[in-house]
Amino acid sequence: MGESFFPSSIGVVPLLLMIHCRLVVGKALPVNTPSPMCENTHVCKPNVAEQTRKLVVLLNATAQDLFSIYLDCQGDPFSSHLDELCNANGTNFPNFDVNRTSHKKEIMVALYKVFAFLNASLGNITRDQEELNPTAKELLERLHNTTKTTRGLISNLTCLLCTNYKVSQVDVTYGKSSKGMNVFKKKQQGCQVLRRYVQVVSQAAQVLLPHLSQA
Amino acid sequence: MWDNPSLRCLLAITFLHLLSLIYSQETGFPEAPENLKCITHDLNRMICSWDATSSANLGLTYKICYTNSEHFSLVCIETEGKRADIPVTVGSTNIRITTLNASGTSLATETFVLSEENVSLIPLTPQILNLSADFSTYTLYLKWNDSGSVFQYELDASWQIQILRKETLETVALMNYDSKLTGKDSILSWNWTSDIPLECTSYYVKIRCYINEPYFTGRKEWSEWSPIRTVPEKDTKPNSAMVFPQDKVVLVGSNVTFCCLYNEGESIKFMNYGSKSYPLLRLNKWSSAIKVQNVSASISSGTNVWCLLEPDGLEGTVLFVGYAPDTPQNLNCETRTFITITCSWNPGRATALYRQRQTKYILFERISKENVTCKVDELNKEHYCDFPVHANQKIYNFTLGASNPLGQAESSLLIDVNQRVHLETPVKFTVSTNSSTNAHLSWYIPGNFIQIRLLCQIEISNSNSERQLNVSMAGAENSNYRAWVDALHPYATYTFRVRCSASEHFWRWSKWSEEKKLTTLEAPPARGPAIWRERSPVGETLTVFWKPLLLSEANGIILSHEVSCYSREIMLKAHEVPVPLNSTEIKLGGNDCLISVVAKNRAGSSPPSRITSMDLPSDDVKTELAIAAGNGIYISWHSDPNVTCGYTLKWCISSGSEPCNVDWEMFPSNATDAVIKSALFQPGVRYNFSLYGCKHNGYQLLQNITGYMKELPPKVAPNFTVEETSSDSILVKWEDIPVEDCQGFLKGYILYFAKGEKGSSKTSFTDEENKTEKNITDLTKKSLRILDLQGKTSYRLGLRAYTVGGIGPSKDLYVVTKENSVGLIIAILIPVAVAVVLGVVTSILCYQKREWIKETFYPDIPNPENSKALQFQKNICEISKLRQQLLPASSLRPEPCRVPPLLFGNGGNTALKTLEMNPCTPNSVEVVETQSTVLKIEDTEIISPVADSELPEDGSDPETGSHVVVSYCPPIIEEEISSPPIDEPVGSSQVIYIDIQSMYQPQVNPEEEPEINFVTTAGYKPQMQLPINAMKMESHSPTEEDLDKTAGYRPQANTNVWKLDSPDSPISIQSNNENGSFGSPCSINSRQFLIPPKDYEDSPTHNNTGWSFTNFFQNKPND
Repeated sequence: MGESFFPSSIGVVPLLLMIHCRLVVGKALPVNTPSPMCENTHVCKPNVAEQTRKLVVLLNATAQDLFSIYLDCQGDPFSSHLDELCNANGTNFPNFDVNRTSHKKEIMVALYKVFAFLNASLGNITRDQEELNPTAKELLERLHNTTKTTRGLISNLTCLLCTNYKVSQVDVTYGKSSKGMNVFKKKQQGCQVLRRYVQVVSQAAQVLLPHLSQA
Repeated sequence: MWDNPSLRCLLAITFLHLLSLIYSQETGFPEAPENLKCITHDLNRMICSWDATSSANLGLTYKICYTNSEHFSLVCIETEGKRADIPVTVGSTNIRITTLNASGTSLATETFVLSEENVSLIPLTPQILNLSADFSTYTLYLKWNDSGSVFQYELDASWQIQILRKETLETVALMNYDSKLTGKDSILSWNWTSDIPLECTSYYVKIRCYINEPYFTGRKEWSEWSPIRTVPEKDTKPNSAMVFPQDKVVLVGSNVTFCCLYNEGESIKFMNYGSKSYPLLRLNKWSSAIKVQNVSASISSGTNVWCLLEPDGLEGTVLFVGYAPDTPQNLNCETRTFITITCSWNPGRATALYRQRQTKYILFERISKENVTCKVDELNKEHYCDFPVHANQKIYNFTLGASNPLGQAESSLLIDVNQRVHLETPVKFTVSTNSSTNAHLSWYIPGNFIQIRLLCQIEISNSNSERQLNVSMAGAENSNYRAWVDALHPYATYTFRVRCSASEHFWRWSKWSEEKKLTTLEAPPARGPAIWRERSPVGETLTVFWKPLLLSEANGIILSHEVSCYSREIMLKAHEVPVPLNSTEIKLGGNDCLISVVAKNRAGSSPPSRITSMDLPSDDVKTELAIAAGNGIYISWHSDPNVTCGYTLKWCISSGSEPCNVDWEMFPSNATDAVIKSALFQPGVRYNFSLYGCKHNGYQLLQNITGYMKELPPKVAPNFTVEETSSDSILVKWEDIPVEDCQGFLKGYILYFAKGEKGSSKTSFTDEENKTEKNITDLTKKSLRILDLQGKTSYRLGLRAYTVGGIGPSKDLYVVTKENSVGLIIAILIPVAVAVVLGVVTSILCYQKREWIKETFYPDIPNPENSKALQFQKNICEISKLRQQLLPASSLRPEPCRVPPLLFGNGGNTALKTLEMNPCTPNSVEVVETQSTVLKIEDTEIISPVADSELPEDGSDPETGSHVVVSYCPPIIEEEISSPPIDEPVGSSQVIYIDIQSMYQPQVNPEEEPEINFVTTAGYKPQMQLPINAMKMESHSPTEEDLDKTAGYRPQANTNVWKLDSPDSPISIQSNNENGSFGSPCSINSRQFLIPPKDYEDSPTHNNTGWSFTNFFQNKPND
């Protein structure tokens, strides 16, 4: 399913993966460094906007289940003391300060920032959970699926930004690497990111609908 | 030095001298030294100190003089302080201390004798060189210098180490450590493990020393405590709250202490291990702990331990609880390719630890001293590890070590690699053939097997059989292996597969290769078909039958059969019959011949099958019954000595409308029985067999046989009818069941019968409890008479046929037996006869006693003219008036006041006569007077017991009434006749007969009734009780009953026992008269009849419990 949604990203994905591999280890890109994000971008296919919207809808539909399963696998108190443990303020999750009246370009940029951050964080979370919960197959499968969908979404957003909105560089921030953290902190960081992800992807699905349906 | 005796002696003398000097000091000067104390740290020199007053004189100095023990010379030293460092001398030493002023003038001198007992040995204060901590293991590591070089010889030293924690310096542990001083400085080390994480609070350490010099006689004391050292803090001490220990791995069942560190301004609400809260132990101002006992295995992501802080915040850590690795079980090492040795094992008990903490395995080979690290997945049950095969090494001694953070275990195995060959699955398996019986096989096995031989097993299977063929072959390196298989069946499909192992030292088979199918080429049919022939009835044609060959015999696809006719080895006719036909017709033309049939396929023809066409005549062929064998039909026959070439049993199975298929089976000449089996045989179907004997000149029909493969119960019930019915028997007839419905050889019928009517709830005779059954085994019998039945009774009949296979269904009939006419007649005649006899007897008795009856009931009436009763005519008139008042107007006519004329009935000569008054014998009649007027009554109506018995409606007590005794002439009855007179021959007596019917009519006005209440107390009561009012008989008062009992005369019949429902009863509905009955059966006045009239039978209240005509006609036969 995911592959059919972003056929134009064949050349972009490897590049993004390379970039994100760097991001996963916690090195934020310099803000003013020229970004190579548009180097291998070609003309977007006509339905890429709709594909993007559907990917966001798909992520929104699966986010809550992913978060619930994640909490179940971490043990108490992650389910019982969610507010104390998983306060999103503890992360650098990008703000999603756009709404339906915002300009399309702003929305695309905001989405790109969010899902670029999410992609990097999902890498950390997946790695940590493969270590901590190797037997939790459903959790790992959902993490992998979400990561794949997120990468497809980033590919589509890159195409839209570079081609339609002529944005060749987006300043992105990433979360802290969980390497070196103690296990409890790893669990906590994953919880914080996923909780915020559930909230933001819901907003994104709401915001994205009117804009992209017109495209 | 101390071992020298002369030196010791000298030192002792010196000490004694010094002591004498000390005690000989005069202490009169304030500057004089006093209280000399000496200590030694190294038994070589000692530090002596003293007290002296020096406040008034500044610039005082002291001159200390002692005898040098080595040179026995006096040594003096000056010092400004009140202490001096002097060598330790053996025994006693005289020390003279002189106080000098600034100008060098002696102010005071004191001499001390210092002995060894007065010297204290106090080691130097030890110094901690290094104090480090391993936070992961809660262990402190301490290092210090023992300063052994201070002493010139070996000494025992003891060390005391004190561990303190918290700000309050609570002693956690005080440990002793012994060492030996070697005369050289040594670094000593010691460690201590805490029960709680070192991060939880501050730890402090100090140390002191004690020298155990056995020859030193002075005081030996502990050194001073070393300066206290603080356990260094963790480098990564966070600024925020934390929980310790972090990510620790412990054994299941351990006791673990966790602490929560928090910052200033925070406090702890509670602390949980998993979901359970534990009591807090306060460690210090910023730290609290919990102790968890006997922890159980954690989930894969560990157990969270967390503390909730105020005002907000939650911190935690994760504890992994698991097991140390189990000893690897079932360690097995074998080679598949002679390139590597693969060892596999079962890890045993799960450790509950994964990934980073999971068990790590190392395979170590002792001979080559090589080891390999095994990459295993904890989630898989089977673990594998490869070790390279070394050239020229056959024996391998493996040790598999397992370790995880909680422990380690190992398992060993010694193998000869040549005896542990477990080959890979053969691949590239191919099968080919170019003949009808052979096949070529080829496969590939990876690996180097040059040094061994291989044993390969080839499995050959088809739908009928399976066999395995072992092939030994030389091993090769990464080579194809070939094999040749023969003795296959032509045109058969086989499935091949192969597996291999080492030939010389068998260890294990490899897995089977993939299966390959192969069909061999065709070959000519192996034998001719089984044949039979049948001549037409006239013998002109011969039909030849043959059976198709089995696949194993056909060796290919049969294309046709060639049928030939030979006569004396000369082929007369031949023609080919294509498949699928399995018969053909040959015209013999009156000549017999030898029939030959040959089957043909693409590869060739079968050997011919031959049979003669000649039939021998048969006489008196009997039909026998076969026995059902369940899975076949058992047939037996008598051996015929003339049969030389066997028997043939032929049958024909028809299916539906198609002509039957001829089938047969041949048996040798000595056979006398057989069980014929066929897939076409069906249970319950009759089959006919013909047994032919093969004689030298032809076939002869010997016997016909009929049988079933399995007998079943009859399919239908026999059709039966009731032929005849009588009052006690039923004749039943039935018909035969058609053969196709019998489903077996009929053994008989079972006739059930029981009482029952159509429409009863019972549906079958099995439910019937009182059924009777008759078993009819004589099959020729087609009828049965059921006897001893009850007349006019409904019976239910059921007839079922049965075979060896069971009882068939039942057909039921309902029959009603006829009425028993003799009984009916008897039932009629007996009552009639009894009635007639009774009537005759009664008549005779009455006739014989007629005089007595007359006298008793109807005595002669006296002549009224002679009676004085006429004198009472006036009174009688009054009574008549009274009667007129009582009788209804319709029944009375106004009469003049005279004696009323009475009617005398005498046959047809009825004439009115004046009543002749005979002399009357008055009877005493007591009249109850209810009024003031006293009535003299001669009318019997007035003194009727019925009237007497009536209670007045006003309820007045008749007892209270006055009694009037009147004269009474019983026979005299005055009555106005309202109906035609009835002439009754009553003999010569002239008796007035009153129509009783007329007296039933109401004659009294109820309103007038109270005026005539009379009670008779005794005397005569007439048989007729004429009502004068409408009172009911049932209202008899007890008083009246008593009167009846006490009366001198009683009627011949008791009215109480008379049937009130009789149509002639006075209270009959039609009559609407409620008077009581009267009269008796013998009384001529009675209206009760001895023999009821005909309409008596029509009475609706007739209650006859015996037979009746109505019932008789209600039971009709069931037709």
